[in-house]
Amino acid sequence: MKSLSLKLPIKLSFLLCFVSACFSFSAIAADAEQAKLSLERLSQSLRQLNFNTSFVVVKNNQAEPYHWLHGVTEVPLSNRTDTQADTAKQEVELEILALLNGPRRDILRVGNTVSYIEPEYAPYSIASAQISGPIPAVFGRDISVLENNYHFVSVGKSRVLGRAAQLIRIVPQDAHRYGYWLWLDQDSGLMLKLAVITRKGKLLEQIQFTHLEITESLSENLKQLQVTELPKVIELSAKENDTELAWQVNWLPDGFEEVKSDRHRMNSSKQAVEFMLFNDGLVDISVYVNPSQDKQRAVEYASDGATLVLNQVVNNIEVSVVGKIPLSSAEKIVNSVSFNPNKLN
Amino acid sequence: MSESKFETISSLVDNYRVAEQSSEQVIDDMLKDEHLSAAWQQYHLIGDVIRDEIPQILQLDLSAQIAEAIADEPSILAPKTLTKVNDPQSGFKAKVVQLIKPVGQLAIAASAAGLMIIGVQQNTADTNEIITPSQIVQTKPLAGFANPVSFNYQQNDHSRTQSHQATALEQRIAQQHRFQALLSDHQQQVKLSAAKSAQSKDAKQSLLEKDGEIVNN
Repeated sequence: MKSLSLKLPIKLSFLLCFVSACFSFSAIAADAEQAKLSLERLSQSLRQLNFNTSFVVVKNNQAEPYHWLHGVTEVPLSNRTDTQADTAKQEVELEILALLNGPRRDILRVGNTVSYIEPEYAPYSIASAQISGPIPAVFGRDISVLENNYHFVSVGKSRVLGRAAQLIRIVPQDAHRYGYWLWLDQDSGLMLKLAVITRKGKLLEQIQFTHLEITESLSENLKQLQVTELPKVIELSAKENDTELAWQVNWLPDGFEEVKSDRHRMNSSKQAVEFMLFNDGLVDISVYVNPSQDKQRAVEYASDGATLVLNQVVNNIEVSVVGKIPLSSAEKIVNSVSFNPNKLN
Repeated sequence: MSESKFETISSLVDNYRVAEQSSEQVIDDMLKDEHLSAAWQQYHLIGDVIRDEIPQILQLDLSAQIAEAIADEPSILAPKTLTKVNDPQSGFKAKVVQLIKPVGQLAIAASAAGLMIIGVQQNTADTNEIITPSQIVQTKPLAGFANPVSFNYQQNDHSRTQSHQATALEQRIAQQHRFQALLSDHQQQVKLSAAKSAQSKDAKQSLLEKDGEIVNN
Protein backbone atom coordinates (compact mmCIF):
# COMPACT_ATOMS: atom_id res chain seq x y z
CA MET A 1 0.00 0.00 0.00
CA LYS A 2 2.79 2.32 0.93
CA SER A 3 4.71 1.59 -2.23
CA LEU A 4 1.67 2.39 -4.33
CA SER A 5 1.24 5.77 -2.72
CA LEU A 6 4.93 6.47 -3.40
CA LYS A 7 4.77 5.43 -7.02
CA LEU A 8 1.92 7.70 -7.85
CA PRO A 9 3.74 10.98 -7.11
CA ILE A 10 6.76 9.75 -9.05
CA LYS A 11 4.61 9.02 -12.06
CA LEU A 12 2.95 12.39 -11.68
CA SER A 13 6.26 14.20 -11.52
CA PHE A 14 7.45 12.38 -14.63
CA LEU A 15 4.32 13.44 -16.39
CA LEU A 16 4.82 17.02 -15.26
CA CYS A 17 8.42 16.97 -16.39
CA PHE A 18 7.38 15.64 -19.76
CA VAL A 19 4.67 18.26 -20.20
CA SER A 20 6.97 21.12 -19.22
CA ALA A 21 9.71 19.77 -21.47
CA CYS A 22 7.24 19.68 -24.33
CA PHE A 23 6.34 23.29 -23.69
CA SER A 24 9.93 24.46 -23.50
CA PHE A 25 10.89 22.50 -26.61
CA SER A 26 8.05 23.99 -28.57
CA ALA A 27 9.08 27.45 -27.34
CA ILE A 28 12.67 26.86 -28.48
CA ALA A 29 11.45 25.48 -31.79
CA ALA A 30 9.26 28.53 -32.29
CA ASP A 31 12.27 30.78 -31.55
CA ALA A 32 14.42 28.88 -34.03
CA GLU A 33 11.68 28.99 -36.65
CA GLN A 34 11.27 32.73 -36.10
CA ALA A 35 15.05 33.22 -36.37
CA LYS A 36 15.23 31.27 -39.58
CA LEU A 37 12.39 33.28 -41.09
CA SER A 38 14.19 36.50 -40.15
CA LEU A 39 17.41 35.28 -41.76
CA GLU A 40 15.56 34.23 -44.89
CA ARG A 41 13.99 37.67 -45.02
CA LEU A 42 17.45 39.24 -44.64
CA SER A 43 18.73 37.16 -47.54
CA GLN A 44 15.77 38.20 -49.67
CA SER A 45 16.11 41.89 -48.74
CA LEU A 46 19.83 41.88 -49.50
CA ARG A 47 19.09 40.58 -52.99
CA GLN A 48 15.91 42.49 -53.85
CA LEU A 49 16.00 45.95 -52.25
CA ASN A 50 17.56 49.14 -53.54
CA PHE A 51 19.57 50.31 -50.57
CA ASN A 52 22.25 52.87 -49.90
CA THR A 53 24.01 52.26 -46.64
CA SER A 54 27.17 52.93 -44.67
CA PHE A 55 28.78 50.82 -42.03
CA VAL A 56 31.86 50.71 -39.85
CA VAL A 57 33.90 47.61 -39.13
CA VAL A 58 35.23 47.88 -35.59
CA LYS A 59 38.20 45.69 -34.74
CA ASN A 60 41.61 46.08 -33.09
CA ASN A 61 40.46 49.38 -31.58
CA GLN A 62 40.12 50.78 -35.08
CA ALA A 63 37.19 51.58 -37.30
CA GLU A 64 37.04 50.99 -41.06
CA PRO A 65 34.22 52.89 -42.75
CA TYR A 66 32.50 51.46 -45.82
CA HIS A 67 29.86 52.64 -48.23
CA TRP A 68 27.60 49.97 -49.67
CA LEU A 69 25.08 50.37 -52.46
CA HIS A 70 22.82 47.74 -53.89
CA GLY A 71 20.12 47.83 -56.48
CA VAL A 72 18.15 45.70 -58.87
CA THR A 73 17.53 46.66 -62.46
CA GLU A 74 15.95 44.99 -65.44
CA VAL A 75 17.88 44.48 -68.64
CA PRO A 76 16.69 42.86 -71.83
CA LEU A 77 17.96 39.34 -72.31
CA SER A 78 20.82 39.53 -74.77
CA ASN A 79 21.02 36.01 -76.18
CA ARG A 80 17.47 35.73 -77.40
CA THR A 81 16.07 36.21 -80.85
CA ASP A 82 15.00 39.70 -81.85
CA THR A 83 11.30 39.12 -81.49
CA GLN A 84 11.64 37.99 -77.92
CA ALA A 85 14.12 40.66 -76.87
CA ASP A 86 11.46 43.34 -76.48
CA THR A 87 9.48 41.43 -73.91
CA ALA A 88 11.94 39.13 -72.19
CA LYS A 89 13.72 40.91 -69.37
CA GLN A 90 16.13 39.74 -66.78
CA GLU A 91 16.71 41.13 -63.30
CA VAL A 92 20.30 42.09 -62.65
CA GLU A 93 21.76 43.01 -59.30
CA LEU A 94 24.14 45.97 -59.06
CA GLU A 95 26.40 46.43 -56.09
CA ILE A 96 29.18 48.76 -54.94
CA LEU A 97 31.18 48.29 -51.76
CA ALA A 98 33.87 50.90 -51.12
CA LEU A 99 36.33 51.30 -48.27
CA LEU A 100 36.34 55.01 -47.47
CA ASN A 101 39.66 55.37 -45.63
CA GLY A 102 43.13 54.87 -47.07
CA PRO A 103 43.88 53.67 -50.58
CA ARG A 104 40.89 52.80 -52.73
CA ARG A 105 39.45 49.35 -52.28
CA ASP A 106 36.28 49.09 -54.29
CA ILE A 107 34.25 46.06 -55.16
CA LEU A 108 31.83 46.39 -58.06
CA ARG A 109 29.29 43.84 -59.10
CA VAL A 110 27.03 43.63 -62.08
CA GLY A 111 25.04 40.43 -62.07
CA ASN A 112 27.46 37.54 -62.16
CA THR A 113 30.60 39.61 -62.57
CA VAL A 114 32.49 40.96 -59.58
CA SER A 115 35.37 43.43 -60.02
CA TYR A 116 37.99 44.20 -57.42
CA ILE A 117 39.89 47.48 -57.48
CA GLU A 118 42.74 47.22 -54.99
CA PRO A 119 46.14 48.86 -54.59
CA GLU A 120 48.00 45.52 -54.68
CA TYR A 121 46.73 44.35 -58.06
CA ALA A 122 45.66 45.68 -61.40
CA PRO A 123 41.84 45.78 -61.48
CA TYR A 124 40.38 42.38 -62.27
CA SER A 125 37.00 40.70 -62.45
CA ILE A 126 35.88 37.23 -61.59
CA ALA A 127 32.77 35.36 -62.56
CA SER A 128 30.86 35.25 -59.32
CA ALA A 129 27.47 36.26 -57.98
CA GLN A 130 28.73 37.36 -54.57
CA ILE A 131 31.08 40.04 -53.34
CA SER A 132 33.64 39.06 -50.77
CA GLY A 133 33.72 41.85 -48.21
CA PRO A 134 33.51 42.18 -44.43
CA ILE A 135 29.96 40.83 -44.36
CA PRO A 136 29.78 37.08 -44.94
CA ALA A 137 28.31 36.44 -48.39
CA VAL A 138 26.08 33.65 -47.06
CA PHE A 139 23.66 36.18 -45.53
CA GLY A 140 22.57 37.18 -49.02
CA ARG A 141 22.24 33.59 -50.14
CA ASP A 142 20.69 30.33 -48.97
CA ILE A 143 21.17 30.42 -45.19
CA SER A 144 19.90 26.86 -44.72
CA VAL A 145 23.47 25.63 -45.45
CA LEU A 146 24.34 26.87 -41.96
CA GLU A 147 21.78 24.70 -40.21
CA ASN A 148 24.10 21.70 -39.96
CA ASN A 149 26.70 23.56 -37.93
CA TYR A 150 24.84 26.40 -36.25
CA HIS A 151 21.61 26.98 -34.34
CA PHE A 152 19.49 30.03 -35.06
CA VAL A 153 18.00 31.72 -32.02
CA SER A 154 15.68 34.69 -31.98
CA VAL A 155 16.59 36.53 -28.80
CA GLY A 156 14.77 39.80 -28.44
CA LYS A 157 14.18 43.28 -29.68
CA SER A 158 16.29 46.36 -29.26
CA ARG A 159 16.95 49.69 -30.90
CA VAL A 160 19.79 49.96 -33.40
CA LEU A 161 20.43 52.83 -35.83
CA GLY A 162 17.29 54.49 -34.51
CA ARG A 163 15.19 51.59 -35.70
CA ALA A 164 13.39 48.69 -34.08
CA ALA A 165 15.68 45.70 -34.44
CA GLN A 166 15.33 41.98 -33.89
CA LEU A 167 18.39 40.23 -32.46
CA ILE A 168 19.17 36.87 -34.02
CA ARG A 169 22.01 34.74 -32.74
CA ILE A 170 23.79 32.23 -34.93
CA VAL A 171 25.17 29.87 -32.31
CA PRO A 172 27.79 27.27 -33.25
CA GLN A 173 26.91 23.69 -32.39
CA ASP A 174 30.43 22.96 -31.16
CA ALA A 175 33.22 24.87 -29.40
CA HIS A 176 35.41 25.08 -32.52
CA ARG A 177 34.01 28.26 -34.04
CA TYR A 178 32.55 31.63 -33.15
CA GLY A 179 28.99 32.84 -32.87
CA TYR A 180 27.45 35.61 -34.94
CA TRP A 181 24.87 38.03 -33.61
CA LEU A 182 22.75 39.93 -36.08
CA TRP A 183 20.48 42.86 -35.43
CA LEU A 184 17.91 43.00 -38.23
CA ASP A 185 15.67 45.90 -39.13
CA GLN A 186 12.03 45.06 -38.49
CA ASP A 187 10.83 47.23 -41.34
CA SER A 188 13.10 46.18 -44.17
CA GLY A 189 14.66 42.98 -42.83
CA LEU A 190 18.12 44.39 -43.56
CA MET A 191 21.12 44.14 -41.27
CA LEU A 192 21.78 46.95 -38.79
CA LYS A 193 24.59 45.43 -36.77
CA LEU A 194 26.67 42.27 -36.80
CA ALA A 195 28.98 41.01 -34.08
CA VAL A 196 31.38 38.08 -33.86
CA ILE A 197 31.29 36.66 -30.35
CA THR A 198 33.30 33.94 -28.62
CA ARG A 199 31.62 31.13 -26.76
CA LYS A 200 32.31 32.97 -23.52
CA GLY A 201 30.54 36.05 -24.84
CA LYS A 202 33.59 38.15 -25.67
CA LEU A 203 33.16 40.57 -28.56
CA LEU A 204 35.88 40.16 -31.21
CA GLU A 205 34.68 42.22 -34.12
CA GLN A 206 31.59 44.11 -35.03
CA ILE A 207 29.98 45.85 -37.94
CA GLN A 208 27.77 48.77 -37.05
CA PHE A 209 25.63 50.35 -39.74
CA THR A 210 25.59 54.11 -39.53
CA HIS A 211 23.15 55.00 -42.28
CA LEU A 212 20.45 53.16 -44.16
CA GLU A 213 18.30 54.39 -46.98
CA ILE A 214 15.91 52.27 -48.97
CA THR A 215 14.72 53.70 -52.25
CA GLU A 216 12.29 52.79 -55.00
CA SER A 217 14.63 53.67 -57.85
CA LEU A 218 18.29 53.04 -58.54
CA SER A 219 20.77 55.52 -57.10
CA GLU A 220 22.96 57.59 -59.44
CA ASN A 221 26.13 55.64 -58.62
CA LEU A 222 24.49 52.38 -59.60
CA LYS A 223 23.14 53.84 -62.82
CA GLN A 224 26.71 54.83 -63.67
CA LEU A 225 27.95 51.37 -62.77
CA GLN A 226 25.44 49.92 -65.20
CA VAL A 227 27.15 51.63 -68.14
CA THR A 228 30.71 51.24 -66.85
CA GLU A 229 32.97 48.79 -68.58
CA LEU A 230 34.32 46.38 -65.98
CA PRO A 231 37.84 44.93 -66.04
CA LYS A 232 38.36 41.70 -67.90
CA VAL A 233 37.20 38.52 -66.21
CA ILE A 234 40.21 36.41 -65.30
CA GLU A 235 40.04 32.77 -66.19
CA LEU A 236 41.01 30.46 -63.41
CA SER A 237 42.42 27.47 -65.17
CA ALA A 238 41.17 24.18 -63.87
CA LYS A 239 44.72 22.86 -63.89
CA GLU A 240 45.92 24.90 -60.95
CA ASN A 241 42.90 23.97 -58.88
CA ASP A 242 42.51 20.78 -56.92
CA THR A 243 46.19 20.00 -57.06
CA GLU A 244 47.34 16.78 -55.52
CA LEU A 245 49.42 17.83 -52.51
CA ALA A 246 52.01 15.97 -50.47
CA TRP A 247 50.19 16.55 -47.23
CA GLN A 248 46.72 16.50 -45.78
CA VAL A 249 44.73 18.06 -42.97
CA ASN A 250 43.41 15.29 -40.76
CA TRP A 251 41.26 17.32 -38.41
CA LEU A 252 38.82 20.12 -39.06
CA PRO A 253 35.70 21.15 -37.16
CA ASP A 254 32.64 19.25 -38.41
CA GLY A 255 31.08 20.71 -41.51
CA PHE A 256 34.19 22.24 -43.05
CA GLU A 257 34.66 21.11 -46.61
CA GLU A 258 37.51 21.59 -49.00
CA VAL A 259 36.87 24.43 -51.41
CA LYS A 260 40.13 24.23 -53.30
CA SER A 261 43.77 23.29 -53.13
CA ASP A 262 46.62 24.68 -55.21
CA ARG A 263 50.21 25.88 -55.36
CA HIS A 264 50.73 29.60 -55.71
CA ARG A 265 53.00 32.46 -54.73
CA MET A 266 51.87 34.83 -52.03
CA ASN A 267 51.57 38.29 -53.48
CA SER A 268 53.36 40.26 -50.78
CA SER A 269 56.18 37.89 -49.81
CA LYS A 270 56.56 36.03 -53.13
CA GLN A 271 56.76 32.88 -51.06
CA ALA A 272 55.71 29.75 -52.93
CA VAL A 273 53.14 27.87 -50.90
CA GLU A 274 50.93 24.84 -51.09
CA PHE A 275 47.47 25.86 -50.13
CA MET A 276 44.10 24.46 -49.11
CA LEU A 277 40.90 26.39 -48.45
CA PHE A 278 38.03 25.08 -46.35
CA ASN A 279 34.59 26.50 -45.66
CA ASP A 280 31.61 25.65 -43.45
CA GLY A 281 29.19 28.01 -45.18
CA LEU A 282 30.08 30.98 -42.99
CA VAL A 283 33.78 30.75 -42.13
CA ASP A 284 36.82 30.28 -44.39
CA ILE A 285 39.95 28.50 -43.18
CA SER A 286 43.19 28.63 -45.15
CA VAL A 287 46.02 26.16 -44.55
CA TYR A 288 49.48 26.90 -45.97
CA VAL A 289 52.47 24.58 -46.14
CA ASN A 290 55.89 25.63 -47.39
CA PRO A 291 59.57 24.85 -46.77
CA SER A 292 61.29 27.14 -44.30
CA GLN A 293 64.90 28.16 -43.63
CA ASP A 294 64.33 27.73 -39.93
CA LYS A 295 64.65 24.24 -38.50
CA GLN A 296 62.08 24.68 -35.74
CA ARG A 297 59.89 27.55 -34.67
CA ALA A 298 57.36 27.39 -31.88
CA VAL A 299 53.74 28.27 -32.47
CA GLU A 300 53.22 31.98 -33.11
CA TYR A 301 49.87 33.62 -33.59
CA ALA A 302 48.25 36.99 -33.98
CA SER A 303 44.73 38.18 -34.50
CA ASP A 304 43.05 40.71 -36.74
CA GLY A 305 39.66 41.17 -35.13
CA ALA A 306 38.17 37.70 -35.17
CA THR A 307 40.63 36.42 -37.77
CA LEU A 308 43.43 34.35 -36.32
CA VAL A 309 46.80 33.75 -38.00
CA LEU A 310 48.80 30.85 -36.59
CA ASN A 311 52.13 29.62 -37.77
CA GLN A 312 54.77 27.08 -36.76
CA VAL A 313 57.84 25.38 -38.25
CA VAL A 314 58.60 21.73 -37.64
CA ASN A 315 61.55 20.05 -39.38
CA ASN A 316 62.03 22.88 -41.88
CA ILE A 317 58.39 22.84 -42.90
CA GLU A 318 56.24 25.83 -42.13
CA VAL A 319 52.53 25.26 -41.55
CA SER A 320 50.12 28.18 -41.19
CA VAL A 321 46.40 28.47 -40.53
CA VAL A 322 44.28 31.58 -41.13
CA GLY A 323 40.60 32.01 -40.37
CA LYS A 324 37.90 33.29 -38.05
CA ILE A 325 38.29 30.43 -35.62
CA PRO A 326 39.36 30.15 -31.97
CA LEU A 327 43.00 29.51 -31.14
CA SER A 328 42.29 26.00 -29.88
CA SER A 329 40.79 25.02 -33.25
CA ALA A 330 43.70 26.50 -35.22
CA GLU A 331 46.23 24.67 -33.06
CA LYS A 332 44.37 21.42 -33.53
CA ILE A 333 44.32 21.93 -37.30
CA VAL A 334 48.06 22.74 -37.47
CA ASN A 335 48.92 19.70 -35.42
CA SER A 336 46.75 17.45 -37.55
CA VAL A 337 48.65 18.16 -40.78
CA SER A 338 50.46 15.00 -41.86
CA PHE A 339 52.88 14.48 -44.73
CA ASN A 340 53.16 11.84 -47.31
CA PRO A 341 56.91 11.04 -47.21
CA ASN A 342 57.00 9.63 -50.74
CA LYS A 343 55.92 12.85 -52.36
CA LEU A 344 57.88 15.25 -50.17
CA ASN A 345 61.02 16.72 -51.69
CA MET B 1 8.22 76.31 28.43
CA SER B 2 9.55 72.81 28.59
CA GLU B 3 6.12 71.42 27.75
CA SER B 4 5.86 73.60 24.68
CA LYS B 5 9.36 72.51 23.64
CA PHE B 6 8.29 68.87 23.76
CA GLU B 7 5.22 69.79 21.78
CA THR B 8 7.39 71.49 19.15
CA ILE B 9 9.62 68.43 18.94
CA SER B 10 6.56 66.25 18.49
CA SER B 11 5.33 68.38 15.62
CA LEU B 12 8.82 68.42 14.07
CA VAL B 13 8.87 64.62 14.21
CA ASP B 14 5.55 64.65 12.37
CA ASN B 15 7.18 66.84 9.76
CA TYR B 16 5.17 69.85 10.73
CA ARG B 17 6.93 73.13 11.52
CA VAL B 18 5.19 75.25 14.11
CA ALA B 19 6.72 78.65 13.80
CA GLU B 20 10.02 79.49 12.21
CA GLN B 21 11.67 80.96 15.24
CA SER B 22 10.48 78.64 17.94
CA SER B 23 11.23 75.47 15.95
CA GLU B 24 14.76 76.63 15.14
CA GLN B 25 15.25 77.51 18.76
CA VAL B 26 14.09 74.06 19.80
CA ILE B 27 16.42 72.38 17.33
CA ASP B 28 19.34 74.30 18.77
CA ASP B 29 18.26 73.38 22.30
CA MET B 30 17.85 69.78 21.26
CA LEU B 31 21.46 69.62 20.12
CA LYS B 32 22.60 70.86 23.52
CA ASP B 33 20.06 69.23 25.82
CA GLU B 34 20.37 65.47 26.20
CA HIS B 35 16.87 65.26 27.59
CA LEU B 36 15.34 66.91 24.56
CA SER B 37 17.31 64.84 22.07
CA ALA B 38 16.20 61.69 23.90
CA ALA B 39 12.63 62.88 23.45
CA TRP B 40 13.28 63.36 19.69
CA GLN B 41 14.48 59.78 19.51
CA GLN B 42 11.59 58.42 21.54
CA TYR B 43 8.97 60.26 19.49
CA HIS B 44 10.43 58.79 16.34
CA LEU B 45 10.30 55.32 17.85
CA ILE B 46 6.69 55.85 18.90
CA GLY B 47 5.85 56.98 15.40
CA ASP B 48 7.57 53.94 13.92
CA VAL B 49 5.69 51.59 16.23
CA ILE B 50 2.36 53.21 15.42
CA ARG B 51 3.05 52.99 11.67
CA ASP B 52 4.33 49.46 12.15
CA GLU B 53 7.69 50.29 10.63
CA ILE B 54 9.94 48.91 13.32
CA PRO B 55 12.65 46.54 12.16
CA GLN B 56 12.82 42.95 13.41
CA ILE B 57 15.77 43.68 15.65
CA LEU B 58 15.58 46.95 17.45
CA GLN B 59 18.79 48.89 17.85
CA LEU B 60 17.58 51.56 20.18
CA ASP B 61 20.80 53.38 20.73
CA LEU B 62 22.41 53.31 17.32
CA SER B 63 23.90 56.79 17.53
CA ALA B 64 25.75 55.97 20.71
CA GLN B 65 27.21 52.85 19.09
CA ILE B 66 28.37 54.76 16.06
CA ALA B 67 29.97 57.38 18.27
CA GLU B 68 31.78 54.62 20.14
CA ALA B 69 32.94 53.01 16.92
CA ILE B 70 34.31 56.31 15.67
CA ALA B 71 36.16 56.82 18.92
CA ASP B 72 37.69 53.36 18.61
CA GLU B 73 38.80 53.98 15.05
CA PRO B 74 42.59 54.56 14.86
CA SER B 75 43.31 57.97 13.46
CA ILE B 76 45.13 57.85 10.12
CA LEU B 77 47.74 60.42 9.50
CA ALA B 78 48.47 61.11 5.86
CA PRO B 79 51.82 62.85 5.60
CA LYS B 80 52.64 64.87 2.52
CA THR B 81 54.83 62.92 0.12
CA LEU B 82 58.22 64.43 -0.29
CA THR B 83 59.77 64.36 -3.72
CA LYS B 84 63.15 62.70 -3.45
CA VAL B 85 65.70 64.84 -5.15
CA ASN B 86 68.91 63.12 -4.26
CA ASP B 87 68.47 59.46 -5.02
CA PRO B 88 71.46 58.29 -7.04
CA GLN B 89 69.89 54.95 -7.94
CA SER B 90 66.68 56.30 -9.44
CA GLY B 91 68.60 58.89 -11.42
CA PHE B 92 70.80 56.20 -12.85
CA LYS B 93 67.84 54.08 -13.86
CA ALA B 94 66.18 56.97 -15.57
CA LYS B 95 69.30 57.54 -17.63
CA VAL B 96 69.46 53.92 -18.70
CA VAL B 97 65.84 53.95 -19.74
CA GLN B 98 66.36 57.19 -21.62
CA LEU B 99 69.29 55.70 -23.46
CA ILE B 100 67.62 52.45 -24.39
CA LYS B 101 64.25 53.78 -25.43
CA PRO B 102 65.23 56.18 -28.22
CA VAL B 103 67.56 53.63 -29.79
CA GLY B 104 64.83 51.03 -29.83
CA GLN B 105 62.25 53.42 -31.15
CA LEU B 106 64.51 54.71 -33.91
CA ALA B 107 65.27 51.22 -35.09
CA ILE B 108 61.59 50.45 -35.16
CA ALA B 109 60.65 53.62 -36.91
CA ALA B 110 63.29 53.01 -39.55
CA SER B 111 62.55 49.41 -40.33
CA ALA B 112 58.95 48.93 -39.44
CA ALA B 113 57.18 52.15 -40.25
CA GLY B 114 53.63 51.32 -40.99
CA LEU B 115 53.55 48.26 -38.82
CA MET B 116 51.27 48.44 -35.89
CA ILE B 117 51.84 45.98 -33.18
CA ILE B 118 49.98 45.88 -29.95
CA GLY B 119 50.96 43.52 -27.22
CA VAL B 120 54.09 41.70 -26.29
CA GLN B 121 55.46 38.44 -27.58
CA GLN B 122 53.39 35.67 -26.25
CA ASN B 123 54.77 32.85 -24.21
CA THR B 124 54.14 29.62 -26.04
CA ALA B 125 54.03 27.63 -22.85
CA ASP B 126 50.71 28.99 -21.65
CA THR B 127 48.87 29.44 -24.92
CA ASN B 128 46.46 26.58 -24.48
CA GLU B 129 44.25 28.38 -22.02
CA ILE B 130 43.98 31.66 -23.88
CA ILE B 131 41.14 32.01 -26.31
CA THR B 132 42.04 35.37 -27.76
CA PRO B 133 45.69 36.11 -28.35
CA SER B 134 47.40 39.15 -27.01
CA GLN B 135 48.91 40.09 -30.34
CA ILE B 136 47.11 42.02 -32.98
CA VAL B 137 48.34 42.32 -36.49
CA GLN B 138 47.33 45.23 -38.67
CA THR B 139 46.01 44.03 -41.99
CA LYS B 140 46.54 47.11 -44.03
CA PRO B 141 49.74 48.74 -42.91
CA LEU B 142 49.58 51.50 -45.51
CA ALA B 143 45.97 52.42 -44.99
CA GLY B 144 46.93 55.82 -43.63
CA PHE B 145 46.08 55.64 -39.98
CA ALA B 146 46.82 58.66 -37.86
CA ASN B 147 49.44 56.96 -35.76
CA PRO B 148 50.91 54.01 -37.63
CA VAL B 149 53.91 53.41 -35.41
CA SER B 150 52.89 52.70 -31.89
CA PHE B 151 55.32 50.15 -30.70
CA ASN B 152 55.67 49.74 -27.00
CA TYR B 153 58.93 47.95 -26.72
CA GLN B 154 59.96 47.25 -23.19
CA GLN B 155 62.95 45.24 -22.32
CA ASN B 156 62.75 44.17 -18.71
CA ASP B 157 65.99 42.28 -18.82
CA HIS B 158 68.69 44.94 -18.79
CA SER B 159 71.51 42.42 -19.02
CA ARG B 160 70.62 41.76 -22.65
CA THR B 161 72.94 43.40 -25.11
CA GLN B 162 72.00 45.76 -27.85
CA SER B 163 72.62 43.22 -30.59
CA HIS B 164 70.33 40.75 -28.92
CA GLN B 165 67.62 43.35 -28.90
CA ALA B 166 68.20 44.10 -32.54
CA THR B 167 67.85 40.47 -33.56
CA ALA B 168 64.76 40.11 -31.42
CA LEU B 169 63.31 43.10 -33.19
CA GLU B 170 64.20 41.75 -36.60
CA GLN B 171 62.53 38.50 -35.70
CA ARG B 172 59.46 40.36 -34.53
CA ILE B 173 59.28 42.33 -37.73
CA ALA B 174 59.78 39.22 -39.84
CA GLN B 175 56.98 37.58 -37.87
CA GLN B 176 54.67 40.52 -38.53
CA HIS B 177 55.50 40.37 -42.24
CA ARG B 178 54.62 36.69 -42.27
CA PHE B 179 51.31 37.31 -40.55
CA GLN B 180 50.43 40.13 -42.92
CA ALA B 181 51.34 38.11 -45.98
CA LEU B 182 49.21 35.23 -44.74
CA LEU B 183 46.25 37.46 -43.91
CA SER B 184 46.21 39.25 -47.24
CA ASP B 185 46.69 36.02 -49.16
CA HIS B 186 43.85 34.40 -47.19
CA GLN B 187 41.55 37.27 -48.13
CA GLN B 188 42.66 37.05 -51.74
CA GLN B 189 42.05 33.31 -51.91
CA VAL B 190 38.59 33.71 -50.38
CA LYS B 191 37.74 36.23 -53.13
CA LEU B 192 39.00 33.94 -55.85
CA SER B 193 37.26 30.93 -54.35
CA ALA B 194 33.88 32.55 -54.99
CA ALA B 195 34.55 32.30 -58.71
CA LYS B 196 35.97 28.86 -58.34
CA SER B 197 32.92 27.47 -56.58
CA ALA B 198 30.73 28.56 -59.47
CA GLN B 199 33.11 26.90 -61.91
CA SER B 200 33.38 23.71 -59.93
CA LYS B 201 29.61 23.39 -59.93
CA ASP B 202 29.66 23.67 -63.69
CA ALA B 203 32.52 21.20 -63.81
CA LYS B 204 30.64 18.78 -61.60
CA GLN B 205 27.57 19.16 -63.76
CA SER B 206 29.51 18.51 -66.93
CA LEU B 207 31.12 15.52 -65.25
CA LEU B 208 27.71 14.20 -64.30
CA GLU B 209 26.51 14.71 -67.85
CA LYS B 210 29.51 12.79 -69.13
CA ASP B 211 28.78 9.98 -66.70
CA GLY B 212 25.22 9.98 -67.93
CA GLU B 213 26.44 9.65 -71.51
CA ILE B 214 28.64 6.77 -70.56
CA VAL B 215 25.73 5.09 -68.84
CA ASN B 216 23.57 5.73 -71.85
CA ASN B 217 26.16 4.32 -74.17
